[in-house]
Amino acid sequence: MAKILIAEDERAINDLIKLNLQLVGHKCDQVFDGASALEWALSGQYDLVILDVMLPELSGFEIIGQIKTPVIFVTARVSVEDRLRGLKLGADDYIVKPFEMLELVERVKAVLRRTKGESEIFEFDGIRVEFDTRRVYKDGVEVSLKPKEFELLSAFITNRNLALSREKLIELVWNFDYEGDTRTVDVHVQKLRQKLGITDRLKTVYKTGYRLEI
Amino acid sequence: MKIRFWQKTYILTLILFLVCLNAGIISLTLFTHSRSVRSAEESAGAEQYYIARSFERDLEDMLALGEGQSPSLLMTSYGTYYAPRGVFLAFEREGKTVFSSLPETVEAKNGTLFHKDIGGVRHIVICSEAGGYKMIFVKNVESLDREFHALTLTYVLTALGVSALLAAVLYFVLRRLSRPLEDLQKTTECIEAGDFSISADESGKDEFALLAHSFNSMIGTIKDQMSALEENAEKKQMLVDNMAHELRTPLTVIRGYAEYLERAAVSEEERISASRYIVSEAERLTKMSEILLDTAYIRENPPEMTQVSLDEVLRGTAERLSGKAKEKKVEIVCEAQEVILTGNALLLSMLFDNLADNAIKACREGGRVVLRCSVGSASVEDNGKGMSSEELLHITEPFFRTDKSRSRAEGGAGLGLALCKNIAEAHGAKLRFESEPGKGTKVFFDFTT
Repeated sequence: MAKILIAEDERAINDLIKLNLQLVGHKCDQVFDGASALEWALSGQYDLVILDVMLPELSGFEIIGQIKTPVIFVTARVSVEDRLRGLKLGADDYIVKPFEMLELVERVKAVLRRTKGESEIFEFDGIRVEFDTRRVYKDGVEVSLKPKEFELLSAFITNRNLALSREKLIELVWNFDYEGDTRTVDVHVQKLRQKLGITDRLKTVYKTGYRLEI
Repeated sequence: MKIRFWQKTYILTLILFLVCLNAGIISLTLFTHSRSVRSAEESAGAEQYYIARSFERDLEDMLALGEGQSPSLLMTSYGTYYAPRGVFLAFEREGKTVFSSLPETVEAKNGTLFHKDIGGVRHIVICSEAGGYKMIFVKNVESLDREFHALTLTYVLTALGVSALLAAVLYFVLRRLSRPLEDLQKTTECIEAGDFSISADESGKDEFALLAHSFNSMIGTIKDQMSALEENAEKKQMLVDNMAHELRTPLTVIRGYAEYLERAAVSEEERISASRYIVSEAERLTKMSEILLDTAYIRENPPEMTQVSLDEVLRGTAERLSGKAKEKKVEIVCEAQEVILTGNALLLSMLFDNLADNAIKACREGGRVVLRCSVGSASVEDNGKGMSSEELLHITEPFFRTDKSRSRAEGGAGLGLALCKNIAEAHGAKLRFESEPGKGTKVFFDFTT
């Protein structure tokens, strides 16, 4: 959906970010030092740069001032000054290692929505989801979804190919304060499968939860 | 309202001066005036005496000429003679006015002298006996008041002029005198705003200069202490930042890949590479914790000491690292003399392995690492990239890395030299570094046998 440049000198972490962002549908390029990060980012073809602060040759703080692309900083430094400095320099967000992958995906989505007006329509298997009007069509016919069912569907689409636990889904869809049974999730998932006919796409993952595989 | 010191001084001085000046002028005026009044009275008295005596004489002469002569005639002639000269006369006998050239009636007793306002003009009145008559002598002393007014005017104008002059001069003098104080105040404001580069003007020899001098030395002390504190805080922050990086990087990898394995539908290939990342990062953390524990252990527990042949230790190091050196195409040479010292062979091997490993890492292809030892000192020398003197200051601090990005492709967590330092200290020895960027580094292990 979006083109993202990952600038992180630690290969393991760089790969990890790439794997996760690819799963949810982004196209990623990888660079491992500051100089190439700047060079690639300046090409202007990216919607977002995931930028490590401590990069060889040029630090992330030095790079951000020279590029116009939206930036999410990734750093192991936790001091408030560093955080403020990053945001003051114009970073769109800031994420501290070690981070949860779902959190990164969530923040990437938020930044893209803010900066790019990330596509409001998602289509798969003849199903068309319009996020701005909150309508869903299957083979051109509108399917009526309850509000929570729609929220659940959009959480699955945002984190597609990633398994989401029932607790995580409650957090994402019903918000933190919901104290209900995790069975509620199962019921809603069942409804979604029926209404959209996506039983083979929306899979149950053993001991984990559910995953929308696209 | 805030009144400044110089303003207070100014106002008080000015008030004091004005009070003194005006009091002086007023008393001077009054004194001068009373003097002229007295002299006017004296001259009036003299004149009156003269008139009275001559009137008596003339009256006697006239009476001697015989009857029929009217004394009033004489009085009239005296009256008309003196009237243009501002002197008026009246003669009374037994309470009745015989003659009067006075502008208005004046009551007076014999032998008195007083001032009387007649028609708005000051007159001196003297009353005495003259030839059996009560003579009232009235003299116009208008000039006395005129003089007084003129005098007063002069004095007031002078006082105003002098006051204005004083006010102006005093203002400039006080402003000038209080300028150093104001400057000092501005300096403190700057310092309050955090600018420590500023210093107060110490020129001159007065109290202000002394104050400025002690003020400046105070700023100096504060500046020194602040920079010491800042440096300390920076060092601590650096340690925390560096440690955070060393711990958080492997944790991110482990957590991230574990999560990935849990959430994603991974292929067999992906599963293997993810697990490998997890294992290698866990190993890295293990190694780091071992070094940290070793460092702490050596610091807390004195190692067991025996007689150790240092040259053997060095040869062992050269042997162990020859493989790594060959891989990087670096030559490692051992030029050791036979030296025996009291120490722990295992720890010493650890120390020299570390130093030699660093040396190899610093070298480019074709570099050369030399291990030497003689009595009192052993050294590890390389001709690699070297370090700046700034870096040399920090290299034995835990988690310090010369590579600011802390890339892990080459190099560990930055704990090696901290461990070496502890080992050296446990042996009562010291590590000494000599280095020049681009030329190479020489590390000395100075010991006493």
